[in-house]
Amino acid sequence: MLRKFITPKPADHVGIQTLRGLIWVSPWIVGFVLFMLLPIGMSIYYSLTDYSLLEAPVFIGLDNYRELFSDPVFWISVRVTAIYALCSVLLSTIITIALAVLLNNKLRGVGIVRAIVFLPTLVPLVAAALGWMWLYDGEMGLINNLLAKLSIDGPNWLGEKHWALLSLIMMSLWQVGAAMVICLAALQSVPRSLYDAANIDGAQPLSRFRHITLPMISPAVLFNIIIALIWSVQVFAVPYIMTQGGPEDSTRFYTIYLYENAFVYGRMGYASAMAWLQLLTVLGLTAIILRLSRNFVHYRIT
Amino acid sequence: MKLKLTNSASYFTKRIALYVTLLIVAATFLLPLLWMISTSIKPLDQVFAADQSILPHVVSDDGVQRTVSPFTLQYWRGVSNYAIDNYKGAWNDPIAEFPLYLKNTLLITLLSVLGIVISSSIVAYGFSRIYWRGRNGVFLLVIATMMVPFPVLMAPLYVLFKQLGWIGSFKPLWVPAWFGGAFSIFLLRQFFMRIPKQYDEAAMLDGCSRWGILWRIILPLSKPALAVVILFQFIASWNDFVGPLVFLNHQEQFTLSLGLYMYQSQQGATPWNLLMAASVLVILPVLIVFLLTQRSFMRGITARG
Amino acid sequence: MGKSADITRRTMLVTAAAAGAGFAVWPYRSRHVRDIPSGRVVLNYWEKWTGVEGQALGRIVDRFNNSQNRIWVKRVTMSDIVAKSMVAIGGGDPPDLVGLFNFNIPQFAEAGAILPLDELDSTKQLLPKHYAPAVWNLLTYENKIWAGVTTCYSLAIYYNREHFRQVGLDPDSPPPTVTEFDHYAKLLTQFADDGSLKRAGFMPNIPNWWPHFWPAMFGGTFYDKQTNRATLVSPENIAAYEWVANHPKLYGKMAAQTFGSSFNRTFHSPQDPFLLGKVSMILQGPWIANFIGTYAPTFDYGCFAAPVVEELYDPTHPTGILEADVIMIPRGCPNPQAAFEFLLYTQRQDVQEQLATDHSKPSPLMNVSEKFIHEHPNRYVHVHDAIIKSSAVRVAPQTRVWKQYADMIASAFDAIWAGADVRSQLQAAQDRVQQLLDTSALRRKQRQSMIGKYP
Repeated sequence: MLRKFITPKPADHVGIQTLRGLIWVSPWIVGFVLFMLLPIGMSIYYSLTDYSLLEAPVFIGLDNYRELFSDPVFWISVRVTAIYALCSVLLSTIITIALAVLLNNKLRGVGIVRAIVFLPTLVPLVAAALGWMWLYDGEMGLINNLLAKLSIDGPNWLGEKHWALLSLIMMSLWQVGAAMVICLAALQSVPRSLYDAANIDGAQPLSRFRHITLPMISPAVLFNIIIALIWSVQVFAVPYIMTQGGPEDSTRFYTIYLYENAFVYGRMGYASAMAWLQLLTVLGLTAIILRLSRNFVHYRIT
Repeated sequence: MKLKLTNSASYFTKRIALYVTLLIVAATFLLPLLWMISTSIKPLDQVFAADQSILPHVVSDDGVQRTVSPFTLQYWRGVSNYAIDNYKGAWNDPIAEFPLYLKNTLLITLLSVLGIVISSSIVAYGFSRIYWRGRNGVFLLVIATMMVPFPVLMAPLYVLFKQLGWIGSFKPLWVPAWFGGAFSIFLLRQFFMRIPKQYDEAAMLDGCSRWGILWRIILPLSKPALAVVILFQFIASWNDFVGPLVFLNHQEQFTLSLGLYMYQSQQGATPWNLLMAASVLVILPVLIVFLLTQRSFMRGITARG
Repeated sequence: MGKSADITRRTMLVTAAAAGAGFAVWPYRSRHVRDIPSGRVVLNYWEKWTGVEGQALGRIVDRFNNSQNRIWVKRVTMSDIVAKSMVAIGGGDPPDLVGLFNFNIPQFAEAGAILPLDELDSTKQLLPKHYAPAVWNLLTYENKIWAGVTTCYSLAIYYNREHFRQVGLDPDSPPPTVTEFDHYAKLLTQFADDGSLKRAGFMPNIPNWWPHFWPAMFGGTFYDKQTNRATLVSPENIAAYEWVANHPKLYGKMAAQTFGSSFNRTFHSPQDPFLLGKVSMILQGPWIANFIGTYAPTFDYGCFAAPVVEELYDPTHPTGILEADVIMIPRGCPNPQAAFEFLLYTQRQDVQEQLATDHSKPSPLMNVSEKFIHEHPNRYVHVHDAIIKSSAVRVAPQTRVWKQYADMIASAFDAIWAGADVRSQLQAAQDRVQQLLDTSALRRKQRQSMIGKYP
């Protein structure tokens, strides 16, 4: 996908041009060094220290990492995050494609529905979290009210350990709008002629979808998967507000535990070690997905 | 036994099925927001009532107690009274200070939007209209920074801002925007690339500097892309929660998102109608901006893919 | 779409943007700032209380502000106050006073995040003789005093007298020992026709706010300061949590789980399970009287100190846990001496009694006026008072890892409640805590040798 940006152009005064280019992009370079490279570098150092925010750091070598691997809560947080990321990415990908296909139909009012599906992605997370806490309320919430009408006794969604994580996953599906729009744009750029050719060959709708639509939108789907993965691995605000990690650690996300260590237990060094592992995991997962996708994603040559 | 449907009959059933699905999808995605609004215009006793409806009940107390029908003016007068009570109550609640939070949020948003537009334009110019060795490599790095999760940076950034003496001010929330954002640089660069090179060359012949080209030629031509950048930064700053949570210490500095969170955690017995009224107030500006700019918005999103 | 529509839209956007920008730079001043008379030293005071309790503290602050004309205390209600305080102090931007919990003292003191009050107390006004001994112990750490007390409370069992009468128990003689208590609880429990729980006599997870309470009833402890050992796996603690585990066994696992969790968010509301009669006996703090007064003024209830095992029974030394809210002065705050002046003010007997009355809590001070006991909203305040002043009262271990320790006990409690083996759960928690304790001690030593001396 990135390949299309590369536009070779002959240059005459290479040195001067390079300097000029660097000057123009220097705001970004300064910002990158100051607000990303430096903090990342600092966090390597802090991850090798015991640092409480209140006191000077003490160098302790790899102790933080060693402790992490024997910390049961750390592993709980890894598991919770993995389950959430897996379910959320998988379900949101399926729902995104389904919605995009549905909203790609030429129907009256389809534009309004597109806007409605997109709308939730704009709602500030805090407000969304409060709204869903109210929806999920065990006694008075709308969801249990509706279930009661079907004479189903709904659980206390956020208050029971078997339901809390699932509730958060369901809520994350409410915010697939942006991914849907990207998918939709990809669908709309599939040339009509491909379908016409398939129709002549007498292809069934399902096989048309399988052999034309899916390959053609695969770059957009891949993009969505990577974005969804990055987002779901760093999910913080929603569980922080809605469940604070409970009940019984069932929503103790990686980022929540990281935040707790840094700012509640006063263990900056330990939190930095967690941050580093997270960064490596995200980069690693993205690399793996990009590698695996080579076999499935089709780039059009334009 | 199944009858074989004629072509047009099957077409109609298909259409109807599609419309029904469409309706269900719309309802599902809209329901949470509708429910928030509905709760925000109910008095507390109705919020906790066993039977709940989307529209609040209005009881007339002129003589006999009776439920007022929603098809009367009296009903809507009653509802607007409830709504005013709740929204005023939340807005003026002594434990929060929403007018101040609004001002803070606006200030941070304004500074961030300004910063991102100016810096990203300059940087995008460097990535699109000047050819230099290593350009594409550096640009890939810009794209790659979008993958770094914020929680990774949270702790060390805090320490950095502490060293800079920025803790306790708004600076951590807007200064970084003045160094460009990966997404806006990407978007603007894509747009700048499509502007014909000849414009620059002609301007240069007229003795215009590169700086002048950017301000007088490129930017005026890039209004749609700039609109998208402004919109996205507006939304991002407006909705940011983790940044204010970590970097702001004093209540006088809270933003709407943080203030709303603090408001809910300070409300012991959860008056959901007030909470929902406050939430709707925080959502409302975003919704209005979205409705006014819907087309640019959608265009901006698809530019990402 | 026509051009005119576009223009209207653009006009609207520009207007909105201009209005927004205008409001952003409008010199709007915070309510708190507007109220401050000029010429005073302004102190920022962060407290956690909201609602009625916050207002009660507000009255104390107002009283102080009106009592002199040099200092103005600005009360700021803060949630997530521990994290916020640490971040603000660590960031070099602290308030002048913070109201935290007693268990924060070791961590903040060791880190040098708060000022030892001995340094500010030149006229020696903070003296142990004024306080209940257990409270004084909480305020001190390693021979220094670090905090004043704002309020404190002990936990006791509250019971529904009407239920006692219904099942033929004497509401005036509550059960003093665990055996009798269990017997009472069984008598008070009612099942519906379908076998589900209709009313619980007593359930340790309603509410599940103090999962570390139960060892007190069996004589268990958590920590040995001398050796820096966690003592979670002891016969007493195992007995305590075996006793906890008995409840779901007795009432049916599913029943106990869903029954308890259905009340998770309804405590201290009109739907409080105790007020609705869903549970007959409940572990609570003294403030419950305020809520009963608000939601069910005619509710007939009683209160007694938690039962203990037979061999520990001593009516003159009731047990329970004591927890305190404390007020501290962060290091690096702008006005430490003025802050200390306000802190001293809050320790006066009349101020303490006013605050404790409004919060419906016992007084942390040794001297208690007649008026206080008589006019207190909780007619059982003497029960709580006796627990606080008893030598058998329990407090949180003074170690900086207590918060994590307590979180782990809570997790172990949940697992045990769901049917996990008691000993192995406690063992796992203890192992992890011991690791934290050892690391914490080692780091402290390293840090001391690095800096040379402890501040």
